Formats: sequence, C-alpha cells, structure tokens
Amino acid sequence: MSYDTEHVRNAGDIPGTITGIPTFTELLTNTALASLYTTIRHSATATAPELVETADVSKKTVYEYLRKLEQAGLITETEDGPSVYEAEDFELTLTIRDVEVSITPELVELIAHDDEYPVINRVLDDHGLVIFALAHDLVNAHADGDITIRQLASLTGLSAGTAYDLVEALYDIHDLGGDSSPTTFTPDDVAGNEDGNLRDELLTE
Amino acid sequence: MYTANIVDTVMFRSLGKQPNTYLQSLKRAVKAADTELWVPATIYCELADYGDGSPVNPYLDDGIEEGWVRIAMPLPGDRSDDFDAVDESVAKARHLADSFLNQQSKYPETNNWRDASLVALTVRLFERNAQIHVITHTADESLAKACARIPPEFGYYEINSRYYNPPQTAKHDFPTVESLTWDRR
Repeated sequence: MSYDTEHVRNAGDIPGTITGIPTFTELLTNTALASLYTTIRHSATATAPELVETADVSKKTVYEYLRKLEQAGLITETEDGPSVYEAEDFELTLTIRDVEVSITPELVELIAHDDEYPVINRVLDDHGLVIFALAHDLVNAHADGDITIRQLASLTGLSAGTAYDLVEALYDIHDLGGDSSPTTFTPDDVAGNEDGNLRDELLTE
Repeated sequence: MYTANIVDTVMFRSLGKQPNTYLQSLKRAVKAADTELWVPATIYCELADYGDGSPVNPYLDDGIEEGWVRIAMPLPGDRSDDFDAVDESVAKARHLADSFLNQQSKYPETNNWRDASLVALTVRLFERNAQIHVITHTADESLAKACARIPPEFGYYEINSRYYNPPQTAKHDFPTVESLTWDRR
C-alpha cells in the first residue's frame, strides 16, 4: 500500500522519518551547512574525514552538521562503507498569499557560495526569498536566450548593477553558458524565411 | 573602411570601474584595431552615478576623455508611437528591434526599450557613413540576434554581432584586437 493523502504523497509502504525541520530553512542562512550539503550532493564518495578536511569550520562542527542533515533526511550513510554519505534531493514549497516558492538544492548551492559572491546575500537580505528564487530562475532563462539582463532587472525590481552581479555569480556557480565565446552572428546566420517579411511578422503579432 | 564597435552596458559592467587592467587592455586593443567604441546615450546614463553634482561615469569617462569611447547623441523614437506613424529609419529600427525582442522573449512585453537602442545606433551609423563596418557586443542572445537581423531590413548587411556567453567571458574575450576587428568570413 502507498500513502497518498492531502499532505503526504508517494510515501511508500512505510513512511520515512523526517525530523529536524529547521535544518531545511537553516540551509538558506548557514553558509557552512549549505556548503556541506552541496559538497556531499556533488560527490559520490564523500567521507566524513574528507569533508572535515575541505570544510571551513571545525571537525566538531562538521560532525554536528552531518548529524543535523542526517536527522532531516537530507543525507544518508551509504552501504559503501562507514561515514560515506550521499545527499537526497528535496523540494520545500511554501505558499503565502497565493505566491508559491520552492526551496531546492539549486538554491542551497547559491548560499554555499555567498562568501565568494556578496550579491547573493545582498539580494536575499534586501529583496527576500521570493525575488531571490525568481531571479535564480530568470538567470536560467537568460542562459537559454529567453530574456535579456535588463528584462531580468525589470521583472525582479533589482537594480541593473545588482542584476548583472547576480547573473555573473549564478553563471559561475551553476556553470552555465557555452564552451567558446564570443559567438559572432552575421545577417546570414539569423536570416528568416525568404518568403517571410520581418516587419509584417513582428507588427502583425 | 571605418569599423565602429557598438558596446552594450553589460560589457563595461563585466570589465569593471576605471582604472583597471581590463580597461587598459581594452584601450590598447581599440588603438591597435584602429577603431572606436560607440555607446548610446541611454547606456551612458545607465552606467552613470548620480551624486549631488553632475553625473560621473566610473566606467566610461576616462575613455571618453582619451577619445576612444564615443557617446552617440540621443536616438529618436518614442516607444508609445505607432510604427506606421514613424517615418525615420533609426526610430523604425528601434521599434522593430523592440518587437523582435518581445517575439523572442519568454516574457513578451517586458523587454527594456534601452535594449533596442543598440540596434537603432547601428542603423544610424550606417546611414551617416557610406564606408563602414559595424560590430556590436552584448551578452544577451536575443539582442545579439536583433543586431544582426534588423539592419538588413534597411539595406545594411556589413554587421558582425558578437554574443558573449557566459557573460563573464567578456572580461577576457572582449578587450582584444580580434573581437574589435571586422570578421571577413
């Protein structure tokens, strides 16, 4: 039997234990915790001693954070050996006044880099979680060529300078973009259908 | 043949405020490529700091003073005008670019009128110079395509539109002789 109720879906035969709920939101404010979770998520064989070696916090704190993450169900010890961890993906959705915002590992990864990129904290502190998450998604839209950076600024209400700083940070962190730059477009590269008339096409729309 | 390079805001934001080594490299590359950088007035304003006194531009003022950056006179065109009522090519190009960006966007009708100024300036430079190549530089894909797509509608084909992706590659790939020089392919 599988549980599928108003609040619980896909629970399987035996619903797992999720405690330590504050850890989910702490991931958005605690750089070291976010960094530890992100490191485990990107590594298939992260052991506790290796995590201690690369962390910016003490050994004691690393073990304390590992315990927190484990209690929240965000990491599990694998069968490959003692103290080898793997991360679980998650999505924590909040809905307030009909606005829905999801906290995901992708957002947590940004927090893990907020020491390197001060713009991350600046946007979170000054504009809040919804704008932060919106800007994150719009940077992905920019990488897909769907919007311009000025559009991103208008849609989020960020200043042009802050929008650019955030774009640069997120491209770096998520490794967005092409392999070679710049690409040069000529009129032949972007010419439309020979029968088509751009003016009619654009202005009719 | 004169080569003009029209540069979007994002390129200067990527290089940073003056003085710095990226801007010094850019200055050397501009001289070696025997070109000039052109910036629409609206983009100058976008990058300026407005303190108590007159505005200063920490990205562009040194280049303007030294003569390798040129700010274009304000471009014609009012966004609220109907396209058919506009009779000047530069303003028409700006309207077409605005529509093109809306068509390309995932969020139509939210694009910024400033984006279209790059295309309008391109057409203006073609109209005022018989022997000219234009190279545009931006980190927005749809705008880069608009820069190559719209001028041919007015009979101008000598354009290279460079698109920097990821944007931060502009730091190293823009201030070079190669990027500022006409590509004959």
